[in-house]
Amino acid sequence: MTGHVIADLALSVLRAATPLAFCALGVLLAERAGVLNIAVEGMMLCGALAAVLTGVLTGSAWLGVGLACVVGALGGLILSLLVVLLPADQVVSGIAFNLAAQGLTSFVYKVTVVRGIQLIGPDTLMSLAGAGAATGFLGSVSPMTYLAVLVTGIAWVFLFRTGPGLLWRSLGDSARAAHASGLNVRRVRVFVLVLSGVLCALGGASLTVAWVRSFTDNITMGRGFIALAAVYFGRWHPLLALLSCLLFGLGEALAFRAQALGSGINPFYLLMLPYVLTLLAVSLMGRAVGPREAGRPYTGG
Amino acid sequence: MSFLRSRAPGPAVRSGVKVRPVGPSFGLRVGLTLGVSLLALWVCAAAAGATLPEVLSTMLEGALGRRTSVLATCAEFAPIALCGLAVLLPYRAGFFNIGTQGQLEVGALAAVAVVLQLQGMPPWLVGPLALLGAGLAGMAAVALPLALKQGRGASEVTTTIMMNFACILLVHAMITGPLKDPTAFYGATPPVPGPYRLPAFPPGGPHLGVGIALSAVLVLHVVLGRTVFGARVRAVGANREAARLAGVRVDRVTVTAVLVGAALAGLAGGVQVMGVTLRVAETWSKGWGFTGISAALLGGGPAGVLVVSAIFAVLETGAKAMQALTGVPAALVYLLQGIPVLVYLAVNSIRPGHALPDAPRSDEPTGLESVP
Repeated sequence: MTGHVIADLALSVLRAATPLAFCALGVLLAERAGVLNIAVEGMMLCGALAAVLTGVLTGSAWLGVGLACVVGALGGLILSLLVVLLPADQVVSGIAFNLAAQGLTSFVYKVTVVRGIQLIGPDTLMSLAGAGAATGFLGSVSPMTYLAVLVTGIAWVFLFRTGPGLLWRSLGDSARAAHASGLNVRRVRVFVLVLSGVLCALGGASLTVAWVRSFTDNITMGRGFIALAAVYFGRWHPLLALLSCLLFGLGEALAFRAQALGSGINPFYLLMLPYVLTLLAVSLMGRAVGPREAGRPYTGG
Repeated sequence: MSFLRSRAPGPAVRSGVKVRPVGPSFGLRVGLTLGVSLLALWVCAAAAGATLPEVLSTMLEGALGRRTSVLATCAEFAPIALCGLAVLLPYRAGFFNIGTQGQLEVGALAAVAVVLQLQGMPPWLVGPLALLGAGLAGMAAVALPLALKQGRGASEVTTTIMMNFACILLVHAMITGPLKDPTAFYGATPPVPGPYRLPAFPPGGPHLGVGIALSAVLVLHVVLGRTVFGARVRAVGANREAARLAGVRVDRVTVTAVLVGAALAGLAGGVQVMGVTLRVAETWSKGWGFTGISAALLGGGPAGVLVVSAIFAVLETGAKAMQALTGVPAALVYLLQGIPVLVYLAVNSIRPGHALPDAPRSDEPTGLESVP
C-alpha cells in the first residue's frame, strides 16, 4: 500500500518536473551562450497550445509535439531577431514576447472554443506503455520524461566534454574571445535561441499532451519562470538544474496530492507551495554568478 | 549628438567612421507600431470571421458611444495608468517590477479589509486609510524581491513573478477563508458598504480614483523631469556605477523608486475595488497589472503612459461590445497589448550604433578603477 502511494507520488513528481526540465535546459543552453531567454514562458505557452491543438485535430500526439517544435523554433527566431540582431534589451524583449504570446494563445484558444473544438488531446504520450496497459513503474512514465532526461544528459556531455561545447560556453563568458577564435557570435546565438525555443516549446507540449491533455488561458502559470529559477538554483549546470526541477516538481505534486486527500487546509495555500519554494530557493542560494555575458548584447564585429 | 540626426546627403565621414542617422524618428516609430498592430488586428479579425472596420467601429462604439460607456472607460483607465506608473518609476531606476498584478490584488484586499474593520467610522477618515492600506500592502508585496535584489543580486524578474502568483493565491485563500462573504456562493469578500465607496469626482463624472491616477501621472511627470530626485533616478537607471561615483546614494534611490512604484500598484487595486468592483472575488481582475507593463514599455514616460493607458482602456471597455456584435473573442485585446510592445521595441532598437567597429565595452578598463 505504502509502496503504491510512493510510486504514485513519484509519477506525479516526474510529470510536474518534465515541463520544467525541458524549459530549464532551454534557458541554460541560451545563458551558457550569453543570451537570456526570459521569453521561456511565452514559448512554453505557444508550444503547449500548438501541441494539444494539433493532437486534437490530427489525433496524433507525436505530430503535436512536432508542431510544437516548429512553433518554438519560430519563437526563438523572432526573439533572436530582437535580442541578437537589433539588439534590443534581452529582459524587456522577453517580457514583451511573453505578453504577446499570452495574448496570442488566449485568442486562438477562445477562437477554438467558439468553433466548438473540444480540446481534449490524445492520451498516447501519457505513459510509455500506452493508456490502460498494466505495466510497472517505468512503463507508466511518459516518453516525454525519458526524452527530457536524454536531452539533458546529451547537453551535459556536449557542454562539458566536447570541443564545440567549450566554444559554446566561451560565448557565455567572453563573446569577444569567442569571436577572436573565429566564431560568428551572432549566427551561433541565433541558432542557440532557436534551439532554446524548441526546448521551451517541448516543455509546453509535455505539459499539455503528456499531462493535462487540455489547454486553458495561461496554463503554464509561471512555470517558465520557475524553470529560470531552477537554472540559477542549479548553478547553470544541466544535471543540477534537472535536480532543482525535480525539487520544484515535488512542490507541485505535493500541493495537488494534499488537495486531493482533503487535508482540511485551504487548497490555495497548498497551490502557493511551488512559488514559495522557488522564492525560498532564491533566498537561500546566496549570490549566484552565472555566465558573464548573459544579458549583454554583443555589439562587436 | 543632434548633428547625427541631420540627414546629410551621403554618409558623413568622421575620423574614418561611417555615421548614419540614429534610428528612426518618433513619428516613424509610432507609425510602424500602429501599422503592424493594425495588420495583426486585421489578420486576427479575419481569422475569427470579421472585418477590420467592423472590429474597430464596434470597439469604439462600445467604449465611447454612450455616457455610461465613457465613464466605464475612464474607470478602466485608472488601474492601468497607476500600474503603468508602478512599472515605469522602478524601471527608470533599474528595477523591472513585473509583480504589479500581485501588488494590485493584495492592495485591493487590504483596502476592503480596512473598510470592513473600520465600519461605522466617518467615510472621510476610512477612505484615505483604506487607500493607505492598499499602498502599504503593495509595498509589502515587493519587499522580498527588493531585498533579494539589493542583498543578493537576485534578478527581480523571477522573484516578482513568483510573488505575483503567491499574492494571487493568497488573495484567493483569504476570500474563500477568513474574509469570505458568508452569503456569497463563491469566493468573494463582502461588498464595500455604500458610504465608503469612492465618490464621483467631479460630481456626475467618474469615481475619484480616476482623478488620483491623473494626479499621479502629473506628479511623476514633474518629479522625474524637474526634481533632483528625478535626475538621480535617471542617473541610477542609466549607469549605476557612474551615479555612485557621482555621489548618488544608489541603493536609497532604487529602494525609494521601487517602494513608491509598488505602492502605486497597490493603490490601483484599492481604487478599483472601492470605486468599481466593490468586492474582491474569484476572477475579479482583468489583469490590469500586466496591462500596466505594456503601458509602461510603450509609453516610455508619464505622459506616454497616460496616452497608452487611455488607448488600452478604450480597447478593454470596447471589447465586450465587439464580441457581442462581431463574434470576435474579446481576448483580441490581450493580443493588442503584447504585439505593439514587441514591434515598438524592435523599431526602437534599430540603431546603427552596434555597427561601429570596436565600440568600447562596459567591462573594459576605463581608468576609473583607481578612483576610491
